[in-house]
Amino acid sequence: MLRTLVALAGVLLLPACGEGRQSVLNPSGRDALLLYDLALVMFVGALVLWLLVGGLFVYVTRINPREMSRGLAEGLIVGGGVLFPVVLLGGLLVYSLPLMQAPREAGEGMRVHITAEQWWWRVEYELPDGSRVTSANELRLPVGQRTGLVLNAHRVIHAFWVPALGGKADMIPGRETYLSFLPESAGTYRGQCAEFCGASHALMAFETVVMEPEDFEAWLAAEARDATPPQTQEATRGAQVFAREGCGSCHTVRGTQAVGQVGPDLTHMGSRVSLGAGILGVTPPDFANWIAHTETLKPEVAMPSYDHLSPDDLTALAAYLGGLQ
Amino acid sequence: MTEITENEDAHEFRSEAVSLWRITFAPLIWAVHFAACYGATALVCAKDGAVDGLRLGIGIGTGVALVAIVWLGWQAWQQWDLVRDRDWENDQGTGEDRHQFLGHAAFLLAVISFIGVSYVALPALLIGTCR
Ligand code: HEC
Ligand SMILES: [Cu+2]
Repeated sequence: MLRTLVALAGVLLLPACGEGRQSVLNPSGRDALLLYDLALVMFVGALVLWLLVGGLFVYVTRINPREMSRGLAEGLIVGGGVLFPVVLLGGLLVYSLPLMQAPREAGEGMRVHITAEQWWWRVEYELPDGSRVTSANELRLPVGQRTGLVLNAHRVIHAFWVPALGGKADMIPGRETYLSFLPESAGTYRGQCAEFCGASHALMAFETVVMEPEDFEAWLAAEARDATPPQTQEATRGAQVFAREGCGSCHTVRGTQAVGQVGPDLTHMGSRVSLGAGILGVTPPDFANWIAHTETLKPEVAMPSYDHLSPDDLTALAAYLGGLQ
Repeated sequence: MTEITENEDAHEFRSEAVSLWRITFAPLIWAVHFAACYGATALVCAKDGAVDGLRLGIGIGTGVALVAIVWLGWQAWQQWDLVRDRDWENDQGTGEDRHQFLGHAAFLLAVISFIGVSYVALPALLIGTCR
């Protein structure tokens, strides 16, 4: 009942957040639910306290403004001013502190290493044998399993936050921080960098795709494979443009000559759900737009705008990248 | 006349110097406990993350600190002497009032130190991980 009310208020206040894909009011993981309940308890507790203190104030100044007996006044100060807050705050601490443990535990499931760059996410899935599958700007998780997230950053501080799935954690250069998620329903949830990290901080988002475990296994197996060679004539030409323009000095496309590490791994770019760290879709026009206007779309980005490329070259590149399934 | 007053003041001051020191003891325990908890946690978590021993140590240290603070608080409470004379303020400039006022201050500081020490220990005792 309360939950519904608060959610309703949230929906009314935040109509722009579309189906709660990036909302703490739409908890879709064990950890987000925990935080949601915690926030609810604290909020209702604060409300009760506020009404109590306000009511008392009105009572002694308006309703019954008589001089109090010494005993009553002393009792109020010692009881209401010392004992009550100490016991209440102590109770809240004892209730909330143990709850903070689970979201930080490693979990029995997989581990994913996420490194924040300016302004995108390097994502590496650790396989049981210790090897890693590299991806970027998208996190895929199996539903119903606790996946550990090992967070790090390159050069400046960022923060990792997927509101619908769990808490927030700072990402600090040279220091690993941890978070873990236990998603409870399949779906796509938006994450956002939550610590100012430079000019394009606001444009540093990503999608988290929560999948059924068997779908996830299939996806991970596909992600681990090298890139599919171009299937069409257009895409083949795109691969040539990619090589000619030197894109491979910054990007890796596994199974090709492209082994750059400066930008996101593009091996399976075509199977992702967003482009440029969550700011564009993955249709051919999106690819062309991104490649030709990178610096307009993302101020101070490390990738140059390839606005000298002909529309034909851009279309070919888009076909190549879209075909990297 | 003035000479006598000065002598009395000096005598009184000497006897009060001890309880002046006393009022700092409880906050001092709080400060040491705080620094020890944070320092030990940082060290253990940076080295091997063996939190069980750490939590036991913090638990024991907290117990000792709390017992000491309760004892100091009890001493101060008696010095304040509230129950007998019902004098909350001790606002006369007399030697007795001065003595009792210092007891009052020490008692309140012991109370706040007790709360401080308890709250500092709670995270260590309730969260069993360095993360
Ligand atoms: C100087 C290094 C550099 C070069 C050269 C470069 N890029 Fe990039 N590229 C980047 C960086 C860095 C990003 C991440 C930008 C961001 O989102 O902040 C990026 C992002 C991308 C993305 C989006 C990736 C994703 O995960 O959403 C695509 C697609 C892309 N580049 C294609 C190309 C193509 C095609 C070329 C050649 C025409 C190229 N890049 C050349 C550095 C480079
Ligand atoms: Cu940021």
